[in-house]
Parts: sequence; C-alpha cells; structure tokens
Amino acid sequence: MSTENKSENIILDDEKALVLDHDYDGIQELDHPLPSWWIATFVGTVVFGVLYGMYYLWAGGLTLEEEYAQDMLKINKAKAELASKVDVFDQKAYSTWTTKVGLAKGAEVFEENCMTCHEENGKGDIGPNLTDEYWLLSDGTAESVYSIVNKGNEDNGMPAWGEVISKDEMYAATAYVMSIQGFEHKSGAKEPQGKKIPRK
Amino acid sequence: MSTEQVSHQGEMEQFSYDDKVVKKYILASLFWGFAALLAGVTIAFQLSSWKFNFGLEWLTFGRLRPLHTNAAIFAFVGNAIFAGVFYSLQRLAKARLFNSFMANFQFWLWQLIIAGGGLSLLLGYSHGKEYAELEWPFDIAIAIAWVLFGVNILGTLWKRREKHIYVAIWFYISTFVTVAVLHIVNSIEIPVSLMKSYPVYAGVQDALVQWWYGHNAVAFFLTTPFLGLMYYFVPKAANRPVYSYRLSIIHFWSLIFLYIWAGPHHLLYSTLPEWAQTVGMVFSVALWAPSWGGMINGLLTLRGAWDKVRRDPVLKFLATAVTFYGMATFEGPLMSIKSVNHLAHFTDWVVGHVHSGTIGWNYMMVAGIFYFMIPRIWNTTLYSVKLANLQFWTATIGLLMYMMSMWTAGITQGLMWRALDDGGRLVYPQFIETVVKIIPMYWVRAFGGVLILIGFMFMLYNIFKTIQQAKKEEEPVYQAPALSSAKPEAHAGTHRKLEGMPMVFTILALLAILVGSLIELVPTLTSHKYLAQKTFMKPYSPLELVGRDVYIKEGCYVCHSQLVRPSPDEYIRYGTVSLAEEHVYDRPFQWGSRRIGPDLARVGGKYNHMWHYKHMIDPRAVTPGSIMPVYDWLETKKYDHKTLRKKMKVMASLGVPYSEDEIDNAIENAKAQAMGIANELSESGVSKDIADKEMVALIAYLQKLGADVKQAIKDGKVIDKAGGAE
Ligand code: HEC
Ligand code: HEC
Repeated sequence: MSTENKSENIILDDEKALVLDHDYDGIQELDHPLPSWWIATFVGTVVFGVLYGMYYLWAGGLTLEEEYAQDMLKINKAKAELASKVDVFDQKAYSTWTTKVGLAKGAEVFEENCMTCHEENGKGDIGPNLTDEYWLLSDGTAESVYSIVNKGNEDNGMPAWGEVISKDEMYAATAYVMSIQGFEHKSGAKEPQGKKIPRK
Repeated sequence: MSTEQVSHQGEMEQFSYDDKVVKKYILASLFWGFAALLAGVTIAFQLSSWKFNFGLEWLTFGRLRPLHTNAAIFAFVGNAIFAGVFYSLQRLAKARLFNSFMANFQFWLWQLIIAGGGLSLLLGYSHGKEYAELEWPFDIAIAIAWVLFGVNILGTLWKRREKHIYVAIWFYISTFVTVAVLHIVNSIEIPVSLMKSYPVYAGVQDALVQWWYGHNAVAFFLTTPFLGLMYYFVPKAANRPVYSYRLSIIHFWSLIFLYIWAGPHHLLYSTLPEWAQTVGMVFSVALWAPSWGGMINGLLTLRGAWDKVRRDPVLKFLATAVTFYGMATFEGPLMSIKSVNHLAHFTDWVVGHVHSGTIGWNYMMVAGIFYFMIPRIWNTTLYSVKLANLQFWTATIGLLMYMMSMWTAGITQGLMWRALDDGGRLVYPQFIETVVKIIPMYWVRAFGGVLILIGFMFMLYNIFKTIQQAKKEEEPVYQAPALSSAKPEAHAGTHRKLEGMPMVFTILALLAILVGSLIELVPTLTSHKYLAQKTFMKPYSPLELVGRDVYIKEGCYVCHSQLVRPSPDEYIRYGTVSLAEEHVYDRPFQWGSRRIGPDLARVGGKYNHMWHYKHMIDPRAVTPGSIMPVYDWLETKKYDHKTLRKKMKVMASLGVPYSEDEIDNAIENAKAQAMGIANELSESGVSKDIADKEMVALIAYLQKLGADVKQAIKDGKVIDKAGGAE
C-alpha cells in the first residue's frame, strides 16, 4: 500500500512524511514522536512515585499512625492549655453575666445546647430538673454549676461543654441556670433527684 | 474504501455487517439512559429536600442511588459500548459479526438483567457493595452475557480480513478480559437464598477486592472501551489520521498496566495495610500521563479540522468528551494524593469528579457516536443539527453547574468537618451544621441535573425523528481479500507483529492486568491477620446479623460511612480510630464512600434505643434540618427469621465462630434480644408491638457498632492511641 491519500482524509503539509502504511476502514495513522512534555510528565510522576514509595515504605517516612499520634499530641496540648484557663471560675468575670444582657445570652445558650435534655426552663427530662433544691452533682452554687457544665458527667449523659462551647457561653449558661432557681413549672417538671440542698 | 485498490493481492470475498443488533443496542441504551438520568435527578432532589421520595420505601435514597449508578453504568453506558464495539469492530476487522444469534441472546439477557436487577434494587435486594449491588443470580447472568460479548469479539477477529488489529480493538480486548476477571473475582459469594448471599471476603479483604473492582470498573468499563471508541469515531468523523501511532502503543500498555494497581486510592487512611495504600496512591499519580496520552491522541487528531468541530455535532460531542476526559484524569490523580484525599474523601467532591467522567466523557461520547452511527445504519441524515447543538449546550451548562456545585459543596463540607479551634475543639461539632450549609449547592446540582435530562430528551426526540425518516435499503455488501492472502509486512516492528496476533495480544493484555492484581490482592487475602482468630470482636448476634442485613437492604451505606480515619478531627467527632480487626465479621464490609450523614462506626451506645426509634420514624424530630429519609415502615415490617439459621450456617462455613448450639437456637436468641429492646422502647412510651419488626433488629445492629471496641479499650485489650503518645 502506498502513503498516498487514498481516502478522503485531510493530511496537513507537515504530516505528509509521517503517514504510516496503516489503513483500517479508512483510518490512517501518523507517526508523530511522543510530545516531550508528555514524556517529561510521565517520567516525572514515575520518579516521584518511586521516591515517595521508598521514603514511606523503607526510609523512615512517618506512618499514618505516627502522623496521627503527632497530631494528637499537639491537639491534646492545646486542649490542656485551654482547659487550664477554662477550668478556673472567676467570680468577677462571672458576675458580668448575671446582668439582663448576660441572662438573655444565657437563655440563648441554654436553648441551643441544653434544652434537648433539660427541657424548657430546666424542668428536666433526660437530664435532671435544674430548678428544684435537689442536686445530683452540684452543691447549688454558681461555681459548682459552672464546673459541671464545663466537665460534664459523660458516663451519665451530661456532656462536657468545655470541649464544645466557649468559656463566656458557659458563664452565660451558668448564670441562666442560677436565674431559674425556684421557677414554678406549670406542669411536667421532673421529680426531684439527688440530695436536698436548701437555697441560701 | 481501499478494498478495490488491493484487489490484485488476492481473491476477493464478499461480506456484510450485522447492524441490526447494533440498532437494538442503541435503542436500549437510549431507553435506559433516560431512566438512569431520571433516577439521578430524583435522588439529587432528595438531598435538597427529603420529601422527594414521596414516602415510598422503594424510592428512598438508599435504594434509588444504586439503581441510578447501575442503570447509568451498566444499562446506558453498557448498551452503548456493545453498540459501538459491534459497529466498529466489524468494520475494523472487515468481517461480519462472528455470531449474530449470540449477540442477540446477549442483548436480551442484558436487558433482562437490567430490568430484573433494577426491580430487585428497588425491592431492597442488594449486595451492599457499590457498583456490584446486584444479587448472585444476576452476577451469574452478567458473567454469561459478558463472556458471550468476549467470544463475539474474539470470534470476529478470528474471521477478520484485516491482518492487523487497530488500537481501538486493543482497548476492546483489554476491556473484555479485565472486566471478566474483576466481575468474577469480586462476586465470589455464598448464597443463603435465591436473593441473598454473603461474600467470601470479610472486612479489610472485602474492601480491597471491592475497590480493586470498583476502581477498575471505572477504568475498564467507563474508560478503556471509550478510548477504543474514540480511536474509531474521532478519525472517522473528522477524516483525519490518528496523531501518533507510537503514542497509542505506549499509552495503551502503560494505561492498562498501571490502572489496575490504583484501587486502594479509595481506601486511603483506612485500615488497609499501609503499603497497599501507598502503592495505590503512587500508581494513581503515574496514571496521569498515560491517561493524557489518550486525550492528546484524540485532540491532536483534530488538528486542522477544528472548523468542522464547530459545525458538526458529532465532532462537537466527541471533542468535548475528550476534553472532559482530560480534566477528569487530571483531577483523579490529584485526589489520590493522600493529603488531598483526606479532604476530598467522603465529600461531594468525589461525586462531582465521577460525573465529570460519566456525563462529560461517557455521555458526550455516547451522544457523539450515536449521531455518527444512526444516520449511517438507518441510511438517512440527522433530523436536526440545531437540536443536537441545543442538546450539547444544555448538557454542558448542566454539567458545569453540577461540577461547580459539587466542588464547592465538597470542599466546604470537608473543611467544616476538620475545622478545629485553638483549644482543639471542633468548630462545627454538630454534623448537621455541615449538611445544612451545603443544601443550596444540592439545589444547584439538582437543576444542573434537570438540564442534562432535558438535553437528553432533545436527543431522544432528534433520534426518533431521524429514524422515522429512515429509508429502507438492502444490507450493503462489501468486499475484501481473504486474510490468507495478506503478505507479511517488511520491516514490521515487534508490536506491529503482535497486532497480527489477536490471541497472543489478548493473553498479554491479561497478563498486564494480572501482575498488579496479584501483587496487590494476594498478600492481604492470604494474610491470617484479618481472619477471625483470637479477636476481641464478638460475632454478630442473630438479631444483629438480621439488623445488618436490614442496613444493607435499605442502602444506609450510601449515606453513612463506617470508618473513622486516623486524624484528630475524626477522633474528636466520632471516637477511637477504626482498627482492621473490628471488621473481621463484616460480610460485606460497609465502610461506605460518602458521608451524607455522620460516620456510624462508633454509634453503638451513643444514644439509647428510644433515640434511634424516634430518629428512624422521623429524623427531623430529633435532628432539625436532617435530610435523612423517614423509615417508618421498619416498625411494621417483620424481620426475616426464616433464613436466620441458614445465614449463620453460611457465616460459620466462612469461619465465623458460631457454635452448633448458637445456630440451633438462633431464632429464640434473636427473639429474646428483640424483646429486651422492645420492652425498653415500650417503657419509653412506644405503644406498638415491634418486637418482631425490622426496626428492632436494626437498632440492635446500630448499638453493636463500635461496642466491642469500646469494651476492649475498657478491658485494656486495645490501647486507644489518641493519647498522642506511641
Ligand atoms: C445530652 C443530654 C444533656 C444535655 C444536652 C445537657 N445536659 Fe445537663 N445533665 C444531663 C444529665 C443526664 C445530667 C445528670 C448527670 C448525672 O446523673 O450524673 C445532667 C446534669 C446537669 C447539671 C447538674 C444537675 C444536678 O442535679 O447536679 C447541670 C447544672 C446541668 N446538667 C446543666 C446543663 C447545661 C447548662 C447544659 C447546656 C449547656 C446541659 N446541662 C446540657 C444531660 C444533659
Ligand atoms: C439520604 C442520606 C441518608 C440515608 C439514606 C440514611 N441516613 Fe442516617 N443520617 C443522615 C443524615 C444527614 C444524618 C445527620 C442528621 C440526623 O441526625 O438525622 C443521619 C444521622 C443518622 C444517625 C445518627 C448518627 C449520629 O451519630 O448522630 C443514625 C444512627 C443514622 N443516621 C442511621 C441510619 C440508618 C440505619 C439508615 C438506613 C436505614 C440511614 N441512616 C440512612 C442521612 C442518611
């Protein structure tokens, strides 16, 4: 067979010398060399693959587990630092949240995070009634409420909010809880749980 | 065309092509394509608003998504492959199809599989393995149909009158052998009943085999056959010679050799042995150039014909398809890089990526080759070029909306999941916040999908009108000299000689894909580490096993993963990072590939039974803004206890340590456990009698997830590495 244009294929001038003696149902093939950038990409990715593989398989690249352990180390440090700040109950800072504005914020925080378990106005459901004189964990002071909100009691279903919301939000929620002490629920308040600690 | 010129070389033979069966495949592809896109648009809307399943269990996301993917891949694209391959193969081989009866038998078998399979998916019969959801009777039927396809390819080549096989055929051959191997190996399963079976692989092994299959289904069902079709239809439609024969050779062999290794890029950061993950990643990166080799050869073939591309809808579709192919095969390697993958995996980015391939590459290719073939085999001209152009633009704009919205949604959600503040706390601790955020993108995607569907309907109408105006004509007769008269070429290189030997070629292609498969699969499959020996895991109780099958039936895995990856955000959000050992009894594994909802690997014990009950009946009552479907029929449907003993026997035969006693008492045991859960629920105020319902079994399963790991940590059998120290 010849390389003459035997079909109606368009052959550009610079291709004439490259036409191969192939013909499949009229399809012809050129013999362009491989584009150099293509070869470079191919060789580049293969070399990368070999080096990468060797590094991670044999040359001491961190395993996923080691990387994870390192990351956790950092996170745990950050957590500890935060906790050391968050754990301190500062009466003065707290008292700025017992204002009207502060309590409004507190109600908001409570509605968003606490209502699912403690229900409206803290009358209790999954979590205990927060308005009566009976306490499971707390001694009825703002400081102890704050510490419970912060650390929770996860075994019994009270989350540790220190890991979720900010310190200010915890102050606000605490202030709100203190503000609803003795609230008279129309109906459905949960029965008392825990020790009775009379209000001061 | 060149037939007369070579007539002096030998005795001429007369032959014709079987285009009747090609026509059938084309029509079937169009029919199922419409169904697949309709299902796709429906599930897209289901994520924008949960109400779009119209309260019907058959149409819930978990069942309809597998239907969509299977219909798109195997029905729409599958039939198009058969049409395109049979059309081009006969012409490239200058021979009539080896056996028309076989091709027709395969045709009807394939449609039966699709119709029956589709129905079975809606009814909840599912394997629970992505893109391989159909149950075992279908698996066998698929294998038969596929072998028939292969026999027809090889048989036609046997009868060929063209000495050398063209690059398109190389791709067809590799498609046939590889898909056969993948499908058979991934479908080895033990039947429990007519429509239920368990895979022989468990946990990590099952995951590896599944994604070796899943990834290479993309490679050898959605890519290689279409590269073959590209090599036939692009030069034919453009009347241009293929750019580089040398490139064809290099990129063909490198592509099929490398592709098969890349499966583990679906399992990065999983409990798959890390060397396999690394291998999966580097081979994926190395695939970039071989893939682009195909793109270059396609696009540069169009050199000097770009004005035609503007005018001719066939070329417009083909050229765009090749461009999208190039884009998707750049994105793929990128997403395989571990750190990128950590962000992209489980998000909509992956979904967008897949559609740039399936819509951008496969659908556009199909449209192009159909517009090429149809006027020719029906002996007419295209009804409306304008309508085809309109289709092109609606599809392109729809696809761009799809891709952009999924990039945005995926990256946004991925970043939200991992965002930690400087105190090491999740910025978005509530998973639902990250869902609500991307719902606008789901709307954009859904409307993009609508555009694609409308474009498809333009095509249906256009083709219908084209066929309507078809002129009847005798089957054209061609002539060419017999193969025996072909003279050996002088100076033929090794590869050129190989092209004259299709059977040897087939064997070499098989070897090329077996190398990677064996090296990657065998060590993990033979490793005893993953078999149930001395593990802290307790086998599923009978009720949990039934519950797990409900989970699979409802397709919960299409929205929920069960794999906590080793990174701080996942530890904080979900709990202890997943261990290989905890999946030893998981047949099939249920790691999932998309977190539309949160990971469930540690959900056991997180909530009480009542929470789950309420959540299944009405997810929004518990989590406002949720897009999870309502599963209220679970409290009225009885769970299947008739097959329970058989299920446990099958499991025992696969190595799960169920004693004879346990198997004998399975039903009583299940009932007792169910009663415990039902009692607790009724104490919390559930008045219905649900002790024998699927709901209870599912809750039992959910409460089991992660429970053994938590216990093992308490008992000191497993050390939770989250302390940060090694
Ligand atoms: C997931 C449910 C849940 C949520 C949400 C929740 N709690 Fe609790 N809470 C409980 C449970 C359960 C207890 C009782 C724990 C125990 O028995 O040790 C409790 C106990 C408490 C106590 C101590 C009560 C006592 O009797 O000593 C306080 C104070 C409290 N919660 C405040 C809050 C605040 C403020 C929020 C929101 C920031 C909140 N809780 C959110 C479940 C919850
Ligand atoms: C359309 C996707 C979708 C499907 C299908 C789906 N879910 Fe969900 N699921 C979600 C989303 C979104 C959430 C998060 C919001 C919520 O709590 O409802 C969720 C949450 C959950 C949760 C709570 C997880 C946690 O840690 O808070 C459980 C349990 C759950 N789904 C179980 C199931 C089961 C079982 C099935 C199958 C019967 C299922 N889901 C099917 C989307 C889905």
